[in-house]
Amino acid sequence: MTQSTAPPPRVSLGVLFYEFLRVSLLASGGGIAWAHRIAVDRRQWLGDAEFADIVSVCQFMPGPNVIGIAVCLGARMRGLRGAIAATAGFVLIPGTAGFAIGMLWFHHTGVPLFRNVLAGISAAAAGMMIATGLRLLRPYRRRLPALLFASLAFAGIAIGQLPLLLVLLVLTPLSIAAAAIARQPAR
Amino acid sequence: MSDPASVGRLAAHLALLSSISFGGVPTVLPDIHVYVVGNGWLSDRDFADFLAMSQAMPGPNMILMMSFIGWKVAGLSGAIASACATFAPPCAMYFLAYRLWDKFRDAPWQKIARAGLAPLTAGLVVAGGTVMARTADISWPAAAVSAVAAATLLFTRLNPLWVIGGAGLLGAFGIL
Repeated sequence: MTQSTAPPPRVSLGVLFYEFLRVSLLASGGGIAWAHRIAVDRRQWLGDAEFADIVSVCQFMPGPNVIGIAVCLGARMRGLRGAIAATAGFVLIPGTAGFAIGMLWFHHTGVPLFRNVLAGISAAAAGMMIATGLRLLRPYRRRLPALLFASLAFAGIAIGQLPLLLVLLVLTPLSIAAAAIARQPAR
Repeated sequence: MSDPASVGRLAAHLALLSSISFGGVPTVLPDIHVYVVGNGWLSDRDFADFLAMSQAMPGPNMILMMSFIGWKVAGLSGAIASACATFAPPCAMYFLAYRLWDKFRDAPWQKIARAGLAPLTAGLVVAGGTVMARTADISWPAAAVSAVAAATLLFTRLNPLWVIGGAGLLGAFGIL
Protein backbone atom coordinates (compact mmCIF):
# COMPACT_ATOMS: atom_id res chain seq x y z
CA MET A 1 0.00 0.00 0.00
CA THR A 2 1.39 3.33 -0.91
CA GLN A 3 0.23 5.77 1.68
CA SER A 4 0.82 9.44 1.95
CA THR A 5 2.28 10.46 5.27
CA ALA A 6 1.64 14.12 4.68
CA PRO A 7 0.95 16.07 7.86
CA PRO A 8 -2.77 16.23 8.65
CA PRO A 9 -4.80 19.38 8.00
CA ARG A 10 -4.80 21.93 10.80
CA VAL A 11 -7.79 21.46 13.07
CA SER A 12 -8.83 23.44 16.12
CA LEU A 13 -9.19 21.77 19.50
CA GLY A 14 -12.80 22.92 19.64
CA VAL A 15 -13.60 21.09 16.42
CA LEU A 16 -12.02 17.91 17.76
CA PHE A 17 -14.08 18.22 20.94
CA TYR A 18 -17.25 18.88 18.96
CA GLU A 19 -16.83 16.07 16.43
CA PHE A 20 -16.08 13.45 19.07
CA LEU A 21 -19.01 14.67 21.10
CA ARG A 22 -21.07 13.90 17.99
CA VAL A 23 -19.48 10.50 17.51
CA SER A 24 -20.31 9.70 21.12
CA LEU A 25 -23.93 10.84 20.91
CA LEU A 26 -24.63 9.26 17.53
CA ALA A 27 -23.11 5.91 18.25
CA SER A 28 -24.97 3.49 20.43
CA GLY A 29 -22.67 0.52 20.08
CA GLY A 30 -21.24 1.29 16.67
CA GLY A 31 -18.86 4.15 17.41
CA ILE A 32 -16.29 3.07 14.84
CA ALA A 33 -18.78 3.59 12.02
CA TRP A 34 -19.50 7.18 13.04
CA ALA A 35 -15.87 8.02 13.77
CA HIS A 36 -15.04 6.81 10.25
CA ARG A 37 -17.87 8.74 8.65
CA ILE A 38 -16.99 11.99 10.37
CA ALA A 39 -13.18 11.84 10.24
CA VAL A 40 -12.72 10.22 6.82
CA ASP A 41 -15.82 10.98 4.75
CA ARG A 42 -16.94 14.37 6.01
CA ARG A 43 -13.92 16.15 7.43
CA GLN A 44 -11.35 14.28 5.34
CA TRP A 45 -8.79 14.46 8.12
CA LEU A 46 -7.29 11.19 6.93
CA GLY A 47 -7.81 8.36 4.44
CA ASP A 48 -9.20 4.84 4.82
CA ALA A 49 -5.73 3.32 5.18
CA GLU A 50 -4.64 5.64 7.96
CA PHE A 51 -7.95 5.21 9.76
CA ALA A 52 -7.48 1.43 9.62
CA ASP A 53 -4.00 2.00 10.99
CA ILE A 54 -5.38 3.78 14.04
CA VAL A 55 -8.03 1.14 14.63
CA SER A 56 -5.27 -1.50 14.44
CA VAL A 57 -3.29 0.21 17.20
CA CYS A 58 -6.43 0.45 19.34
CA GLN A 59 -7.30 -3.18 18.74
CA PHE A 60 -4.14 -4.24 20.56
CA MET A 61 -4.76 -2.12 23.61
CA PRO A 62 -7.06 -2.72 26.55
CA GLY A 63 -10.05 -0.52 27.27
CA PRO A 64 -12.94 0.91 25.27
CA ASN A 65 -11.65 0.89 21.68
CA VAL A 66 -13.74 3.80 20.46
CA ILE A 67 -12.18 6.06 23.09
CA GLY A 68 -8.87 4.80 21.77
CA ILE A 69 -9.83 6.13 18.36
CA ALA A 70 -10.60 9.52 19.93
CA VAL A 71 -7.23 9.52 21.72
CA CYS A 72 -5.21 8.43 18.65
CA LEU A 73 -7.03 10.65 16.16
CA GLY A 74 -6.74 13.63 18.49
CA ALA A 75 -3.04 12.86 18.95
CA ARG A 76 -2.57 12.57 15.18
CA MET A 77 -4.20 15.94 14.54
CA ARG A 78 -2.94 18.00 17.47
CA GLY A 79 -0.71 15.97 19.77
CA LEU A 80 -1.43 15.59 23.48
CA ARG A 81 -3.82 18.53 23.56
CA GLY A 82 -5.75 17.10 20.62
CA ALA A 83 -6.01 13.74 22.37
CA ILE A 84 -7.39 15.41 25.49
CA ALA A 85 -9.85 17.55 23.51
CA ALA A 86 -11.20 14.58 21.53
CA THR A 87 -11.48 12.36 24.61
CA ALA A 88 -13.17 15.09 26.62
CA GLY A 89 -15.64 15.61 23.78
CA PHE A 90 -16.36 11.91 23.74
CA VAL A 91 -16.76 11.44 27.50
CA LEU A 92 -17.77 14.62 29.37
CA ILE A 93 -21.17 15.75 28.13
CA PRO A 94 -22.60 12.36 27.07
CA GLY A 95 -21.34 10.80 30.30
CA THR A 96 -22.88 13.48 32.50
CA ALA A 97 -26.16 13.48 30.58
CA GLY A 98 -26.33 9.68 30.56
CA PHE A 99 -25.68 9.58 34.28
CA ALA A 100 -28.42 12.11 34.98
CA ILE A 101 -30.93 10.26 32.79
CA GLY A 102 -29.97 7.01 34.47
CA MET A 103 -30.61 8.46 37.90
CA LEU A 104 -34.04 9.65 36.81
CA TRP A 105 -34.73 6.28 35.23
CA PHE A 106 -33.85 4.27 38.30
CA HIS A 107 -36.22 6.35 40.38
CA HIS A 108 -39.07 5.57 38.03
CA THR A 109 -39.85 2.39 36.18
CA GLY A 110 -38.72 2.03 32.61
CA VAL A 111 -40.99 2.67 29.65
CA PRO A 112 -41.20 -0.27 27.19
CA LEU A 113 -41.47 2.16 24.28
CA PHE A 114 -37.95 3.40 25.00
CA ARG A 115 -36.64 -0.14 24.88
CA ASN A 116 -38.35 -0.79 21.51
CA VAL A 117 -36.87 2.32 19.94
CA LEU A 118 -33.44 1.23 21.12
CA ALA A 119 -33.93 -2.23 19.61
CA GLY A 120 -34.42 -0.59 16.21
CA ILE A 121 -31.43 1.68 16.64
CA SER A 122 -29.08 -1.09 17.61
CA ALA A 123 -30.14 -3.17 14.59
CA ALA A 124 -29.20 -0.25 12.32
CA ALA A 125 -25.96 0.35 14.22
CA ALA A 126 -24.93 -3.27 13.71
CA GLY A 127 -25.39 -2.91 9.96
CA MET A 128 -23.35 0.31 9.94
CA MET A 129 -20.49 -1.37 11.74
CA ILE A 130 -20.40 -4.23 9.20
CA ALA A 131 -20.33 -1.71 6.35
CA THR A 132 -17.46 0.20 7.97
CA GLY A 133 -15.39 -2.97 8.27
CA LEU A 134 -15.96 -3.65 4.57
CA ARG A 135 -14.88 -0.10 3.75
CA LEU A 136 -11.64 -0.64 5.63
CA LEU A 137 -11.03 -3.79 3.60
CA ARG A 138 -11.64 -2.08 0.27
CA PRO A 139 -8.01 -0.96 -0.35
CA TYR A 140 -6.98 -4.62 -0.01
CA ARG A 141 -9.71 -6.19 -2.13
CA ARG A 142 -7.37 -7.39 -4.88
CA ARG A 143 -4.95 -9.09 -2.52
CA LEU A 144 -5.81 -12.69 -1.85
CA PRO A 145 -3.79 -13.15 1.38
CA ALA A 146 -5.36 -10.00 2.83
CA LEU A 147 -8.85 -11.28 2.07
CA LEU A 148 -7.95 -14.65 3.57
CA PHE A 149 -6.72 -13.14 6.83
CA ALA A 150 -9.67 -10.76 7.06
CA SER A 151 -11.97 -13.78 6.70
CA LEU A 152 -10.05 -15.74 9.33
CA ALA A 153 -10.22 -12.85 11.81
CA PHE A 154 -13.93 -12.50 11.12
CA ALA A 155 -14.56 -16.25 11.52
CA GLY A 156 -12.54 -16.50 14.72
CA ILE A 157 -14.69 -13.91 16.47
CA ALA A 158 -18.08 -14.13 14.79
CA ILE A 159 -18.27 -17.89 14.22
CA GLY A 160 -15.71 -19.46 16.55
CA GLN A 161 -16.44 -16.97 19.37
CA LEU A 162 -12.78 -17.09 20.36
CA PRO A 163 -11.24 -14.46 22.67
CA LEU A 164 -9.96 -11.41 20.76
CA LEU A 165 -6.48 -11.63 22.27
CA LEU A 166 -6.09 -15.24 21.08
CA VAL A 167 -7.23 -14.37 17.55
CA LEU A 168 -4.81 -11.44 17.43
CA LEU A 169 -1.85 -13.40 18.81
CA VAL A 170 -2.29 -16.21 16.27
CA LEU A 171 -3.21 -14.24 13.15
CA THR A 172 -1.03 -11.13 13.50
CA PRO A 173 2.37 -12.80 12.93
CA LEU A 174 1.00 -14.89 10.06
CA SER A 175 -0.68 -11.95 8.35
CA ILE A 176 2.41 -9.76 8.69
CA ALA A 177 4.59 -12.59 7.37
CA ALA A 178 2.29 -12.93 4.36
CA ALA A 179 2.49 -9.17 3.76
CA ALA A 180 6.29 -9.31 3.99
CA ILE A 181 6.51 -12.15 1.44
CA ALA A 182 4.09 -10.42 -0.92
CA ARG A 183 6.31 -7.35 -0.79
CA GLN A 184 9.52 -9.17 -1.71
CA PRO A 185 9.11 -9.57 -5.52
CA ALA A 186 8.02 -5.97 -5.91
CA ARG A 187 11.36 -4.74 -4.67
CA MET B 1 -22.05 2.85 53.09
CA SER B 2 -20.25 5.68 51.38
CA ASP B 3 -16.98 5.20 53.21
CA PRO B 4 -13.86 6.35 51.34
CA ALA B 5 -12.25 2.94 51.75
CA SER B 6 -14.90 1.31 49.55
CA VAL B 7 -14.49 3.99 46.89
CA GLY B 8 -10.73 3.46 46.88
CA ARG B 9 -11.01 -0.29 46.61
CA LEU B 10 -13.60 -0.13 43.85
CA ALA B 11 -11.62 2.45 41.85
CA ALA B 12 -8.40 0.48 42.22
CA HIS B 13 -10.11 -2.70 41.06
CA LEU B 14 -11.69 -0.97 38.06
CA ALA B 15 -8.39 0.68 37.11
CA LEU B 16 -6.66 -2.69 37.17
CA LEU B 17 -9.37 -4.41 35.13
CA SER B 18 -9.66 -1.65 32.54
CA SER B 19 -5.89 -1.94 32.04
CA ILE B 20 -6.19 -5.59 31.07
CA SER B 21 -9.51 -5.39 29.20
CA PHE B 22 -8.18 -6.40 25.81
CA GLY B 23 -11.08 -6.34 23.36
CA GLY B 24 -13.01 -3.79 25.37
CA VAL B 25 -14.50 -3.45 28.84
CA PRO B 26 -17.27 -6.03 28.20
CA THR B 27 -14.58 -8.73 28.30
CA VAL B 28 -13.94 -8.05 32.00
CA LEU B 29 -17.58 -7.46 32.90
CA PRO B 30 -18.04 -10.95 34.43
CA ASP B 31 -15.15 -10.28 36.81
CA ILE B 32 -16.56 -6.89 37.81
CA HIS B 33 -19.91 -8.55 38.43
CA VAL B 34 -18.40 -11.10 40.80
CA TYR B 35 -16.40 -8.40 42.58
CA VAL B 36 -19.17 -5.89 43.27
CA VAL B 37 -21.86 -8.44 44.09
CA GLY B 38 -19.41 -10.42 46.21
CA ASN B 39 -18.66 -7.29 48.22
CA GLY B 40 -22.36 -6.86 48.88
CA TRP B 41 -22.43 -3.48 47.12
CA LEU B 42 -24.94 -4.48 44.43
CA SER B 43 -27.55 -7.17 43.89
CA ASP B 44 -27.67 -9.23 40.71
CA ARG B 45 -30.77 -7.30 39.78
CA ASP B 46 -28.99 -3.95 40.20
CA PHE B 47 -26.18 -5.14 37.98
CA ALA B 48 -28.56 -6.28 35.21
CA ASP B 49 -30.53 -3.02 35.39
CA PHE B 50 -27.38 -0.89 35.24
CA LEU B 51 -26.11 -2.86 32.27
CA ALA B 52 -29.38 -2.56 30.33
CA MET B 53 -29.54 1.15 31.07
CA SER B 54 -25.95 1.88 30.05
CA GLN B 55 -26.33 -0.16 26.86
CA ALA B 56 -29.48 1.74 26.00
CA MET B 57 -27.82 5.14 26.26
CA PRO B 58 -25.73 6.78 23.56
CA GLY B 59 -22.23 7.76 24.57
CA PRO B 60 -19.56 5.85 26.42
CA ASN B 61 -21.59 2.86 27.62
CA MET B 62 -19.09 1.11 29.84
CA ILE B 63 -17.94 4.29 31.57
CA LEU B 64 -21.59 4.96 32.32
CA MET B 65 -22.02 1.43 33.64
CA MET B 66 -19.13 1.89 36.06
CA SER B 67 -20.41 5.28 37.18
CA PHE B 68 -23.76 3.67 38.07
CA ILE B 69 -21.93 1.06 40.11
CA GLY B 70 -19.81 3.74 41.80
CA TRP B 71 -22.92 5.75 42.58
CA LYS B 72 -24.53 2.75 44.23
CA VAL B 73 -21.41 2.17 46.33
CA ALA B 74 -20.71 5.73 47.43
CA GLY B 75 -22.90 8.33 45.76
CA LEU B 76 -21.57 10.98 43.42
CA SER B 77 -17.92 10.78 44.48
CA GLY B 78 -18.06 7.03 43.87
CA ALA B 79 -19.56 7.62 40.42
CA ILE B 80 -16.85 10.05 39.39
CA ALA B 81 -14.01 7.94 40.80
CA SER B 82 -15.30 4.82 39.02
CA ALA B 83 -15.73 6.58 35.70
CA CYS B 84 -12.20 7.99 35.83
CA ALA B 85 -10.69 4.66 36.90
CA THR B 86 -12.35 3.02 33.90
CA PHE B 87 -11.16 5.35 31.17
CA ALA B 88 -8.00 7.10 32.35
CA PRO B 89 -5.55 4.15 32.39
CA PRO B 90 -6.51 2.88 28.90
CA CYS B 91 -6.41 6.45 27.53
CA ALA B 92 -2.85 6.90 28.77
CA MET B 93 -1.90 3.59 27.17
CA TYR B 94 -3.58 4.47 23.88
CA PHE B 95 -1.71 7.74 23.76
CA LEU B 96 1.71 6.24 24.49
CA ALA B 97 1.15 3.35 22.07
CA TYR B 98 0.12 5.73 19.31
CA ARG B 99 3.10 8.01 19.90
CA LEU B 100 5.42 5.03 19.64
CA TRP B 101 3.71 3.77 16.49
CA ASP B 102 3.73 7.23 14.94
CA LYS B 103 7.45 7.66 15.61
CA PHE B 104 8.27 4.82 13.23
CA ARG B 105 5.66 5.80 10.66
CA ASP B 106 8.05 5.64 7.70
CA ALA B 107 10.12 2.66 8.83
CA PRO B 108 10.01 -0.19 6.28
CA TRP B 109 9.00 -2.72 8.92
CA GLN B 110 5.99 -0.66 9.83
CA LYS B 111 4.77 -0.50 6.25
CA ILE B 112 4.81 -4.29 6.17
CA ALA B 113 3.20 -4.57 9.61
CA ARG B 114 0.51 -2.15 8.49
CA ALA B 115 -0.25 -4.17 5.36
CA GLY B 116 -0.59 -7.26 7.54
CA LEU B 117 -2.66 -5.62 10.26
CA ALA B 118 -5.21 -3.68 8.23
CA PRO B 119 -7.04 -6.74 6.80
CA LEU B 120 -7.24 -8.27 10.29
CA THR B 121 -8.69 -5.04 11.64
CA ALA B 122 -11.27 -4.91 8.86
CA GLY B 123 -12.26 -8.51 9.55
CA LEU B 124 -12.57 -7.80 13.27
CA VAL B 125 -14.78 -4.76 12.73
CA VAL B 126 -17.10 -6.78 10.48
CA ALA B 127 -17.13 -9.50 13.14
CA GLY B 128 -17.98 -6.95 15.84
CA GLY B 129 -20.93 -5.75 13.74
CA THR B 130 -22.03 -9.33 13.18
CA VAL B 131 -21.93 -10.14 16.89
CA MET B 132 -23.98 -6.99 17.56
CA ALA B 133 -26.42 -7.95 14.83
CA ARG B 134 -26.84 -11.37 16.37
CA THR B 135 -28.17 -9.87 19.61
CA ALA B 136 -30.08 -7.03 17.93
CA ASP B 137 -31.68 -8.96 15.06
CA ILE B 138 -34.22 -10.94 17.00
CA SER B 139 -36.70 -10.88 14.09
CA TRP B 140 -36.30 -10.84 10.35
CA PRO B 141 -37.50 -7.23 10.00
CA ALA B 142 -34.69 -6.29 12.39
CA ALA B 143 -32.23 -8.22 10.25
CA ALA B 144 -33.56 -6.33 7.21
CA VAL B 145 -32.92 -3.05 9.05
CA SER B 146 -29.29 -4.09 9.62
CA ALA B 147 -28.92 -5.00 5.95
CA VAL B 148 -30.45 -1.71 4.77
CA ALA B 149 -28.19 0.25 7.13
CA ALA B 150 -25.11 -1.55 5.81
CA ALA B 151 -26.15 -1.04 2.17
CA THR B 152 -26.87 2.64 2.77
CA LEU B 153 -23.42 3.24 4.17
CA LEU B 154 -21.70 1.25 1.43
CA PHE B 155 -23.55 2.34 -1.69
CA THR B 156 -25.17 5.72 -1.06
CA ARG B 157 -24.22 9.13 0.26
CA LEU B 158 -27.36 9.34 2.36
CA ASN B 159 -26.80 10.41 5.95
CA PRO B 160 -27.16 7.21 8.03
CA LEU B 161 -29.09 9.22 10.62
CA TRP B 162 -32.14 8.76 8.38
CA VAL B 163 -31.76 5.01 8.63
CA ILE B 164 -31.18 5.17 12.38
CA GLY B 165 -34.23 7.40 12.81
CA GLY B 166 -36.38 5.14 10.63
CA ALA B 167 -35.21 2.09 12.54
CA GLY B 168 -36.04 3.73 15.86
CA LEU B 169 -39.51 4.58 14.53
CA LEU B 170 -40.14 1.02 13.35
CA GLY B 171 -39.07 -0.14 16.80
CA ALA B 172 -41.42 2.31 18.47
CA PHE B 173 -44.35 0.82 16.57
CA GLY B 174 -43.30 -2.63 17.71
CA ILE B 175 -42.51 -3.85 14.22
CA LEU B 176 -39.03 -5.15 15.00
